Amino acid sequence: MLQQLINGMMLGSVYVLIAVAFTLSIGILNFLNFSIPGLFMLGGMISWVLISMGVPPLLAFGLAFLIACACALVVEKLTFSWMKGSDHEVPLVSSLGFLILFEQILLVFYGSDQQAFPKVIPNATLKLGDLVIGSAQLLGLVLSIAIVIGISRFLKKTRVGRGIRAIAEDTTTAEFLGINVNVVVPLIFLISGAVAAIGGMLFAVNYSQVSPFMGEEVGFKGISAMIIGGMGSVWGAIAGGLLIGLAEVMSIYFLGSDFVDLSVYGLLLIILMVRPQGLFGLAQVREKL
Amino acid sequence: MFSGYIDGLIVILAINVIMAYSAALPLVAGQLNLGTAGFMAVGAYMAAFLSNEYGLPIGVAILVGSLASGLIALIIGIPVLRTSGIYLALATFALGQILVAVFLNLEIVGAAQGYPVYGYIEMPTIALTTIGLLILLFVLSQTRFWLYLTAIKNDPTVCDLFGIEVRNVQLAAFVLGGMLAAVAGGLQAHYLSYVEAQSFGALISIYTVLFVILGGTQTVLGPLVGAAFFTFLPEVFRSGEEWRYAIFAAFIIGFMVLRPQGMINANMMRRLKAPFGGKASA
Amino acid sequence: MLLEINSLSVKYGRIPALEDFSMEIKRGEIATVLGANGAGKSTLLKAILGMEKASHGKVVWEGENVTNWSPSRRIKDGLALVPEGRRILIAQTIEENLLLGAYQRDDVDAIRHEMETIYDRFPNLCERRHMQASCLSGGEQQMLAIGRALLSKPDLLMLDEPSLGLSPLFVKQLFKLLRDLNKGGLTILLVEQNTDQALALANTGYVLERGKLIISDGAQKLANDPRLHEAYLGVAAE
Repeated sequence: MLQQLINGMMLGSVYVLIAVAFTLSIGILNFLNFSIPGLFMLGGMISWVLISMGVPPLLAFGLAFLIACACALVVEKLTFSWMKGSDHEVPLVSSLGFLILFEQILLVFYGSDQQAFPKVIPNATLKLGDLVIGSAQLLGLVLSIAIVIGISRFLKKTRVGRGIRAIAEDTTTAEFLGINVNVVVPLIFLISGAVAAIGGMLFAVNYSQVSPFMGEEVGFKGISAMIIGGMGSVWGAIAGGLLIGLAEVMSIYFLGSDFVDLSVYGLLLIILMVRPQGLFGLAQVREKL
Repeated sequence: MFSGYIDGLIVILAINVIMAYSAALPLVAGQLNLGTAGFMAVGAYMAAFLSNEYGLPIGVAILVGSLASGLIALIIGIPVLRTSGIYLALATFALGQILVAVFLNLEIVGAAQGYPVYGYIEMPTIALTTIGLLILLFVLSQTRFWLYLTAIKNDPTVCDLFGIEVRNVQLAAFVLGGMLAAVAGGLQAHYLSYVEAQSFGALISIYTVLFVILGGTQTVLGPLVGAAFFTFLPEVFRSGEEWRYAIFAAFIIGFMVLRPQGMINANMMRRLKAPFGGKASA
Repeated sequence: MLLEINSLSVKYGRIPALEDFSMEIKRGEIATVLGANGAGKSTLLKAILGMEKASHGKVVWEGENVTNWSPSRRIKDGLALVPEGRRILIAQTIEENLLLGAYQRDDVDAIRHEMETIYDRFPNLCERRHMQASCLSGGEQQMLAIGRALLSKPDLLMLDEPSLGLSPLFVKQLFKLLRDLNKGGLTILLVEQNTDQALALANTGYVLERGKLIISDGAQKLANDPRLHEAYLGVAAE
């Protein structure tokens, strides 16, 4: 039971990262960026491609990270920059277009099968009584929480962070104050894409498999985690991510794997109806699509 | 009559068109329904179950399935439609996933193994049903109801002031959408002779919304054009075989950059009508 | 010359909002732009800051043509605007609002020091520095907006209808503050509805009517110019 709790947290740490990526995009720019699961997948898949080509793992991760970041910037140029003045659904659709594009390109080259991701972290396990914690999993949990805390501090304490929050509240005012919106907005895409890509790498390392479609399931659960935690709240993303991870592992343990969607999305639906702003949500997050 | 390939393509087109309108109805009123696949599943399973176990004529089974789906949409729509914008989109998304997950665990319809369907309907029946539904939709588009839908999208507050019952109109659009999706599901189940919960994934709902937005929601023709386009475009790229969906995705991105209001917009319709003696209204 | 504007035009779509406008502001001066609602005053200020694109003409700042500069670059170079309606970020604290004013600056110590000066000037803000700005009254928000603009260390402070919606007491304080700031060497460009007080404060005045400059003169002469009142009445009568 306690072991399940720990497994759930480990799984949740991946959702935490995706939820943070989404929450940055929605909370600051009001944009549900559907390409995030695609960037998550790029993080995992490109790492796998490079490692299987013989590139040393660390370098492979670094390169995959850079490629995913570059893709995030392309997405910004072709979706968000163009959305001004159009219907709210439009950037949603074109970011979805990017998700399909990324998936299909990798599909063409590497097929749709699950690929085994090599063990890059020594197989050490931490044993506490009956509990078993894998080193990779522990690293994942620590890393994702560290990233979230880092982002939260960055937003709170730095000049650019203040500028980002100003954009979140009112883009025009931010411009009046001399915040270079044209630089800061791509930066937000970059951070959000980078976090998603790291999530993909962690997933690959922890679950030892990657595929061009690995982002979809995780992406949907990440969005759910974001909503449950509260849109726009970085801390909410941690709570939501871990909660979804726990719900998933627990329902597999008690009810069977076919019940996962029922409990995860049931939880989401209940939260949406009872407390739409989520557990940690700010009521003033402007909502649009 | 036709080769199997053409036959299949027409059925896919018909299903896509019906699905497009099931998403378009609420979307015309500004509500993004990302759960249409769930209602499709309800229609598919319900119709299949009724025709299999109770020997109901397929048409009646599909109709009952559609009513059942409408009832679910009504019951769930009342609390869900209190939310709006992205919350509504995600609530409908969750709803779709839940509906599918229920069937995935329902032993009486085969759970994860899928559910064979014994009754069979042929392509022409499906095509005719779709045409019938389209005619109904075009008639609907001439009514005040449709006008209310577009008005709600433009300004719900003003609609409220003019005495339009915004919530009820939205709910009606949502329920009608749910019923249409169920018809599509019922037709598909009896054409494919098999129902499988996994085939009603979230991407079906998302693609459906994609048809509609690409076609444009400003006119009643938009969703039809969008769905037709989406059905045929990947076929056009068939020569590129493995690249076709990538090209298709690039096309979506490019299209949205160049023409964010959709393929068919209101202005274009006016211009089309003008040469046929219709006065171009302002 | 600190700021020179040469036959500047701005269009919203096809509709001209400002046509062929020219002005010159010397260092240390207070200039005021007057006119009825919709005469193009706000457009002028936004165009000077770079928030609106000039369709024609140019903005010359300290001898340099800045017409194509971004707002952030102009702010970094010494322009600042207190926008209409103050535009305080109510979800952020008072201190964060002030710090946002200094967004383009890197001299952390000087910023700290100047912030203390601003707190000395507005003790009301100091007391609540770590509270959200939503707790401030309209007058206090205006002080915060001015303080925030001052933290960008501007050479020219532009204000768009700062007295709008303030109580008479606050309006009095506001004009006194502007006078003090000017005595300290700050150049000011003021857009106001409050014609009498603005002209009493300013050295020169400009009157806009439907996007066009109709009078520019010394402030005192302008105060007695009958055309000034026609400019308001003329538009109002439409």
